[in-house]
Amino acid sequence: MSETTSTAAPEKVRVRLTVNGTSHDLLVEPRTLLADLLRGDLGLTGTHLGCEQGVCGSCTVLVDGTATRSCLVFAAQLDGATVRTVESLGGVDGSLHPIQRAFHENHGLQCGFCTPGMLMGTCELLERTTEPDPDDVREALGGNLCRCTGYQNIVKSVCAAGRALAAERNGAQV
Amino acid sequence: MKPAAFAYLAPRDLDEALDQLAEHGADARVLAGGQSLVRLMNARLASPSVVVDINRVPGLDALAVTNGSGPATLRLGATVRQRTSELSADVATHAPLLAEAGAHVAHAPVRSRGTVVGSVAFADPSAELPAALLALDGRVVARSRSGERTIEADDFFTGPFRTSLDPGEMVVAVEVPAVGARTGSAFVEVARRHGDLPVCGVAATVTRADDGSVAGTRIALCGAGERPVRARAAEDALTGSDGGEGAVAEAAARAADGLSPIGDCHGSADFRRHLARVLTGRALRTAIHRAAGEATDV
Amino acid sequence: MSTVEDRPTTATTGSPREGERRWVGRSVPRKEDPKLLAGRATFVGDVTLPGMLHGAVLRSPHAHARIVSIDTSAAEAIPGVAAVLTGAQAAELVNPMPAFCAEPVPQTAVAIERVRYPGEAVAIVAATDRYIAEDACAAIRVEYEVLPAVVDPEAAMAPDATRIHETLDSNVAFHRTLDFGDVEGDLARAHTVVRTRARWHRMGAQPMETAGAVASWDPFDKSMTVYSNSNFHNFLPWAFAGMLGVSTNRLRMIPCAVGGSFGSKHFITKVLAIAGALSKATGRPVQYLEDRVDNIAANDNVGCDRIYDAELALAEDGEMLGLTLRIIDDYGAYFQFAHGQHGNAMAQPTGPYRISSLRYDVSCVLTNKVQQGFFRGAGADPGNFVLERLVDKAAEQLGIDRAEIRRRNFIRPDQFPFKTPPGNVYDSGNYAAVLDKALELAGIDDWRAEQERLRAEGRYLGIGLATCQERTGYNASEWWFLYDNPPLPATSTPESVKMDVDAMGGVRVEVGCPLWGNSPETVVSQVVAEEFGIDPADVSVTYADSTTGAMSAGPGGSRLTIMLSGATRGAARTIRDKMIRIAAHAMEMDPADVECVDGTFRAKGAPGTSMSMADIGMRAHLFFHDTPEDESSGLVAVHTYDHPYSTPPSADRKDMGAFYPMVSHACHIPIVEVDPETGVVTLRAYYAVNDCGTVMNPTLVEGQIVGGIVQGIGAALMEEYRYGEDGALDTPTFREYLVPSMHEVPEIVVEHLETPSPFTEYGVKGAGEGGRLVAPTAIASAVDDALKPLGVWVDELPMTPERVVGMVTDAREGRP
Repeated sequence: MSETTSTAAPEKVRVRLTVNGTSHDLLVEPRTLLADLLRGDLGLTGTHLGCEQGVCGSCTVLVDGTATRSCLVFAAQLDGATVRTVESLGGVDGSLHPIQRAFHENHGLQCGFCTPGMLMGTCELLERTTEPDPDDVREALGGNLCRCTGYQNIVKSVCAAGRALAAERNGAQV
Repeated sequence: MKPAAFAYLAPRDLDEALDQLAEHGADARVLAGGQSLVRLMNARLASPSVVVDINRVPGLDALAVTNGSGPATLRLGATVRQRTSELSADVATHAPLLAEAGAHVAHAPVRSRGTVVGSVAFADPSAELPAALLALDGRVVARSRSGERTIEADDFFTGPFRTSLDPGEMVVAVEVPAVGARTGSAFVEVARRHGDLPVCGVAATVTRADDGSVAGTRIALCGAGERPVRARAAEDALTGSDGGEGAVAEAAARAADGLSPIGDCHGSADFRRHLARVLTGRALRTAIHRAAGEATDV
Repeated sequence: MSTVEDRPTTATTGSPREGERRWVGRSVPRKEDPKLLAGRATFVGDVTLPGMLHGAVLRSPHAHARIVSIDTSAAEAIPGVAAVLTGAQAAELVNPMPAFCAEPVPQTAVAIERVRYPGEAVAIVAATDRYIAEDACAAIRVEYEVLPAVVDPEAAMAPDATRIHETLDSNVAFHRTLDFGDVEGDLARAHTVVRTRARWHRMGAQPMETAGAVASWDPFDKSMTVYSNSNFHNFLPWAFAGMLGVSTNRLRMIPCAVGGSFGSKHFITKVLAIAGALSKATGRPVQYLEDRVDNIAANDNVGCDRIYDAELALAEDGEMLGLTLRIIDDYGAYFQFAHGQHGNAMAQPTGPYRISSLRYDVSCVLTNKVQQGFFRGAGADPGNFVLERLVDKAAEQLGIDRAEIRRRNFIRPDQFPFKTPPGNVYDSGNYAAVLDKALELAGIDDWRAEQERLRAEGRYLGIGLATCQERTGYNASEWWFLYDNPPLPATSTPESVKMDVDAMGGVRVEVGCPLWGNSPETVVSQVVAEEFGIDPADVSVTYADSTTGAMSAGPGGSRLTIMLSGATRGAARTIRDKMIRIAAHAMEMDPADVECVDGTFRAKGAPGTSMSMADIGMRAHLFFHDTPEDESSGLVAVHTYDHPYSTPPSADRKDMGAFYPMVSHACHIPIVEVDPETGVVTLRAYYAVNDCGTVMNPTLVEGQIVGGIVQGIGAALMEEYRYGEDGALDTPTFREYLVPSMHEVPEIVVEHLETPSPFTEYGVKGAGEGGRLVAPTAIASAVDDALKPLGVWVDELPMTPERVVGMVTDAREGRP
């Protein structure tokens, strides 16, 4: 490993990406992590940093639909990408997305710090698996740490969200 | 916990990537999934001055089965995600051990981004996939501006996080010969938690002869040395045996012979040797059972 | 049997009986949720102020070293770096951190001349962003002279051991032996004395959000505004002001939403001092937020680290007579909170049992590790572990069933309030009923059958059992009563709310505590709803900063629901009574004949004429001449609820007094399977019956209990700070310090028994720590039960795979 005390800052990278439906054309420093771009430049502080080592999952967002640790991706990598964060759920009128509602109704959060990561992981899971069972939930969210809830109500919340969304879809078809 | 500054390069094809690696040599790191590299960079345990992001290089994401004159070969390009490999029908058919070991790697969101080749090139002595590659008698395909070479897995891993790659060289694919008839495999590990790097893991393949005896076996361990290692004494003990409980016990007892594991907060060197023995027995029992199943199927 | 001399004043009279309550006891949905779910709550890391800089800390790689020199010139030259401060430079801007200890153990937020634990701050930086601040840290050159590291607490006690602090004569910062009752007599007349040497390793709170602060110094006003995730902004703001070098009336501390604490963020003086010093040095707002390594290595979130030599004296029939505890506690390098964890443990050392004597011998030892702070359980956690291990061992040795020996020794329902040997009082309980309910809930016979079946297959299933206390609602005396001459013998742990009903009848409550991951808004709204008969959704709750005069010790010691219930009910009663007087005046009635039902005020028993909250609100705010003569305008009440029942310790410390008297109880029955070859312990099922008095909100209480149990699973199986022989911290990230994930958690079934507290409003007791106070020893009991055929005895946590295999090997080879 070389010790680099470079005098000139590396060239910035142009990134055009869409975040929660809004397109951005940005010049970013190569080392800027996606999490810091979201939290800092874009003011989307709902994405939380718990460990910056990819171990806790608090910073999980969707990149092109895939649940991704935003602390382990450089913003520079995301030219052309579509990113969704917790701020994309729910309405500006304060209405909750069915997944958020399920967490609320099943007491799936306490301090709420890990919650945005849990919610975004749930979004991805419910795209793939419409009505997950607890094992599906553990497989999808097992890498997201929560220190408050003991997880039981998170698992319940995700299963309930799956049922609610399925019911909504079925209702829409009728 | 933020990375040091670096220059970001995103080559559009392999030649451009190799040119960049040649130019920057040891100062450059290849970024594929980034699930280990970015972690190290955040902790400033790695501070490359140049990062070459190969995710936009076309063709590296191919997962293919090639049927040449010899047996079929499974080839995974440098940006094939672990999740893709784990769920691939070709991998399940031709190298089920790779899928079985892969399912133990971290958690789904990490595997969605992390690559098989990246894990191999990172050469963490505790990681599952390097051990699986070793047990599968796999090969690493390395390219540099001066050409391509194939490195046997046995020769690729040289130490903790060290490989026989030269500066300017990158792994473009790993190749695994398709498992033959009457061959069974198994991967077992003990991790502190589900998804953690194993304290110790064992990847084993066993091929049985027509008479049921063990025609060949490869046993690779992770978390049991300074690199993924073969348990050669155990392999020798099992090869030619009847594959019965006595032979398995004998092989398991010798699984830790000559090992020098790196002890850490998850397990001392002695405990890792202990686990190597226990888990080798378990892996072999399952592999032999599966090989027998294969035999009866044939 | 000793008795309670000083009975507490009874709780507010006239409370509706349980069946008549409408909101207390209901699973009201949590009001705190929506903003958290939307990602719109403001955590300290989300605070940005114009011109704000970001702090970072350079930390010592050595456990113990002299700082020979620090060269910050290269760091200062980096564009974007605004300030680089060494310990000496920081000490010119902020003062040493306040401490509760009497011993001379000074501590500064940034080390001066010497570092005493791995990760201690050596220099701090403020820069335009965190990346550049870390670049600057990397560019600071420090020359160390490495000193011998003191790692083993027993070795640290030797007279010739390397001294951690030259200001002390020994690394034993504190030692005291206290006898309560006839200890020698009980040992002498015992039929059996059960002994254990037990080890409880240090673990930490590890909230998902680290500690942090944004400090903004105004050099013209000489004032400072601080956003942080501390709890004590409305309890000890003067202590923070002293540290920050700001006059107490010019410090404004603003609470943020807190991403978990579990006891670790009460004081957080390090981050406050670091942010404060950098803001003073730069004249700009500075945010310093620990990263995970900062938090694990240097936050004071580390719990107890104890070696116990313990004895339980019993009569032949299993009657428990006396308990002796000799404890060596490794406090690490500093002593900021003194021996508060032992004051805490003194609340319930004899558990739910009628043990009449206790010897408590404690040595607080200093070593080259980060200092202890508070973590859920706060000192009582290892006590429960050791006592329940002794009880299981006694059952085994005397040939008495585990449940039966407990049943024989439980304090009986008719013995409450019960005074324990050290003096603390238990308010109420029905321990045998909890035990019976738990055994039934677990379906214990079915599990025994399953155990038999699996043993025949060579598999090891174990059924655990533990019956433990959870002391709730502390009084400050626990911080100091182990001293004869305490430096600050405080006796207050207040909680206050400010409530007002506006001219349109809207109810607003400002609480002094922060949002720490618990549910103050929901609890307050439930109580307001109960007292006025309105919908809790209509109550608005906000958080007071430190300039409002609010008094709040905040969440801690499982006190908040008790204390907020008291404060809110008190304020509600004051306002309601005034509204009744105004309504009676308007309706030309005697106030005694007016009642408040469903948010309206009307004649008792004759609900014809009535006035709404808005009617009275408008009258109180704008119609002075239409209110009773001696009423001032407005409907505002500040109510401070002090500890409902505390008594001072005796001068000779033969009686510590009542200081933690709301005592919850639980019985846990975990089911585990153990693989003795690999040492892997898997939880198969988990049953818990809890009695925390009147359950304020069943869903939220269950959430606390399940969350606590899972932290207890961590304590039992994986959580541990580990240090190398050279004192290096081997567990500096979440890859080494392991907390439970979803995969390690079985289905947890919780049920309640409700024995109300006679001391509190509505009869509530606390429930925040109970899960973690019981689960570790219950799981140890289960592993024991599983491995009983192999002769294993668990006396050390966590039960990592390597330890379990070691225990099995030792048992097989006949080693103790």
